[in-house]
Amino acid sequence: MILDIAHYLSILSTAIFMLTFTLVLILDRSVSHSTLLIKRSYSHAFLLFLISFLLYVYLALTDNFSVSYIAQHSNSLLPNFYKVTSIWSAHEGSMFLWIIFLSLWGFIFNLSTDRDLKVKNLSIGIISIIIVGFQLFLLITSNPFEVVLPFAPENGADINPVLQDPALAIHPPTLYLGYVGFVIPFAYALAFLINKDQSIEWEKKVKSWSVMAWVFLTIGISLGSWWAYYELGWGGYWFWDPVENVALMPWLAATAFLHSLSVASKSNVLRIWTLLLSIIVFSLSLFGAFIVRSGIIDSIHSFANDPQRGMYLLAFIAVILFVSLGLFASRLNMFESSKNIKALSKESFISLNNIFFGVLIFSTMMGITYPLIYELIYDQKISVGAPFYNAIYAPITILATMILVISIDSRWGRAIDTGRSFNMLYISLAMGLIGLSLIRYFVGDMSFIIMISFLMGLIIIFRYLILVIKNILEKKYINTPSVIAHTGLGLLILSISANSILSSEKVFNMKPNEVRKFENIRIEFNDLELLNNSNHDSIKATFALDHNGKSFYLSPEKRKYFARGQITSETAIKIMPIRDIYLTIGEQLEGGQWVVNVQLNYFIRFIWLSAAMMAFSGLLIISNIIRRKS
Amino acid sequence: MKLLLKIIIFIIPLIIFSFFYLYLSKDNSYPGADYKKFDLPAFELQSLYDENFISNNLLDGTYLVNVWASWCITCRVEHGFLTELSNNNINIVGLNYKDNRDDAIEWLVKYGNPYEVVIHDLKGSLALDMGVTGAPETFLITDQRVIAHYRGEINNMIWNDVFLPVIKERGLVIDAK
Repeated sequence: MILDIAHYLSILSTAIFMLTFTLVLILDRSVSHSTLLIKRSYSHAFLLFLISFLLYVYLALTDNFSVSYIAQHSNSLLPNFYKVTSIWSAHEGSMFLWIIFLSLWGFIFNLSTDRDLKVKNLSIGIISIIIVGFQLFLLITSNPFEVVLPFAPENGADINPVLQDPALAIHPPTLYLGYVGFVIPFAYALAFLINKDQSIEWEKKVKSWSVMAWVFLTIGISLGSWWAYYELGWGGYWFWDPVENVALMPWLAATAFLHSLSVASKSNVLRIWTLLLSIIVFSLSLFGAFIVRSGIIDSIHSFANDPQRGMYLLAFIAVILFVSLGLFASRLNMFESSKNIKALSKESFISLNNIFFGVLIFSTMMGITYPLIYELIYDQKISVGAPFYNAIYAPITILATMILVISIDSRWGRAIDTGRSFNMLYISLAMGLIGLSLIRYFVGDMSFIIMISFLMGLIIIFRYLILVIKNILEKKYINTPSVIAHTGLGLLILSISANSILSSEKVFNMKPNEVRKFENIRIEFNDLELLNNSNHDSIKATFALDHNGKSFYLSPEKRKYFARGQITSETAIKIMPIRDIYLTIGEQLEGGQWVVNVQLNYFIRFIWLSAAMMAFSGLLIISNIIRRKS
Repeated sequence: MKLLLKIIIFIIPLIIFSFFYLYLSKDNSYPGADYKKFDLPAFELQSLYDENFISNNLLDGTYLVNVWASWCITCRVEHGFLTELSNNNINIVGLNYKDNRDDAIEWLVKYGNPYEVVIHDLKGSLALDMGVTGAPETFLITDQRVIAHYRGEINNMIWNDVFLPVIKERGLVIDAK
């Protein structure tokens, strides 16, 4: 009964979103009473859809296993928290949530006030038709409301155990909020193009929306990285997994987009580029959904394969992309390209760095598609992995950071004052070189590319430090978000470089009561116990570690979950300021020995810290915009 | 300049989209799957657990034959999924391939036994007759005939896309318990 209501509400909501789109098409968009009608129509469609979702959450909480999806992914033994999160543990439910978020952004945007009624109404229409496309996809190809006939199973098949984790419960929603948030700048850019009124400063209006979406995307990606580190037992922070890459591409595009938003009003060339970027960012977000949901790529992230779904998504994304590109191309003449970018001005540096972002996005796209193309032609599977991406990312990031440190202190529309600004650069270069030789002294020999990375990371941090000190002394304005975000970038480069050369691991075969030594750590296998928990059995090994006179215990586990028979490995991590001691146990060998893997992961916390700094700087930008408005 | 921009922004996505289209519309996106039909070869091999002989005549109905070995890492990966199948009453015959008997039994004790029967094919003779190239491989057999075969790890995706369509198409009943 409740299921039927939820199902009907979703269908009804699709119809009303369609109605909203039709209203936008036929009504006079510049008058306020049609605006009111459009606004209300959209809100009603959204609220009905939201109620439908909440009813679905209720069904999951009350263990309604007559719903096929809930029966397959939940279980009555699960804590309530995971009963809810099981909704987004597989394709249908997560698509449902994805569309909820898509329409939620539209809903909040819909409530905001805007003097340019025409553009705002058009944007709402564009958002509505995109939602309709995805709702039809949900209801036709991936219906979460399907029932199990004729009898409901007594219990559900349980959520995948690696997904029973708080970080994973929030990682997908955060990431989705990021992905779909870019619908706002996308819709607004299209509305701007349709409207042909150059005087509207759409770039200013979409800034806070875009920054917010970018913040979610940044946090979502970092949470995924953190989860993979401690839950999957892989021991690293980034694996160039195809699905990680499809999240990275919109992030890079969005970062380039945010940079050009602030420049766009300065030059027509950049205005065109920013419009194109808004289309690229949203298309790449949709492309991510396509890759994950079409079953094209095998990955921890991919959902069950269904070619029909893939085809629908591919077709729908193609329509969105080519219609918007067509519109973009037809409006190119709207802009005269008279104003040129002045050499060595701030906009010239930002344009240059946008090119680097573009190269990274394009290469990543090649890395994802090349194995597919190869398979299509030669019928063999190959994989493009870390060596390819490292070879591309390291030099381009270094080039981009060089442009960054030169551009600090640059100004809009004027060439940079090379004398004054370059003096600071020389000082930071000198400090960076000193820092680098200290690092080399303590760490020993390293490859050229790592040395350059260390140097660039240090120069960025020192250069911003000098900037802050100098501006405080001269009582000048400091662009705090920019300082925090770029210092975060410097820290990111430093910690990735340090992590890659310092981290080490070793595998031991150990029996209980045996002792091993790894670097300066003494590891004693103390105890092995069998534990019986509500939904899994586990073998818990306890190790006593002694490190520089400090002793502590670590207890990695191996678990076997009843409902799926799946075996998982639980890591045990000792977190210390500069390095983590990371312990996992593997199989039992003959003669009662266990495979014990010990890893020392250096500066890994700083990688996430730098991501957090970037996200925080985004929040600062938004709070500044809000403060300026009120 | 603008013309060039127009051409580039259309050509790049067009190429990418057409590749994905071709990829999705390929008939068989699983290189490990084949649907060659042949009679189950005649054999008489010992059961893993005792001295009793199992022959092809003793097996009837519809079932899966899963080729595995204790030395095979991928077998351990797919083991959880086999357990899930077995919990759903899917009849699975294990073909223990070129394996030490004690190791194999210990492996099943450690990870659980999803198999109805386990055939001990020490020399790999039956596996050779069935065209096995390595472990793991999985066959779908009905009425003494092989009707679907997958080389490599089976999981939910492979099950849904390689085996289930054949089972549904023929209206087979696989839970023969």
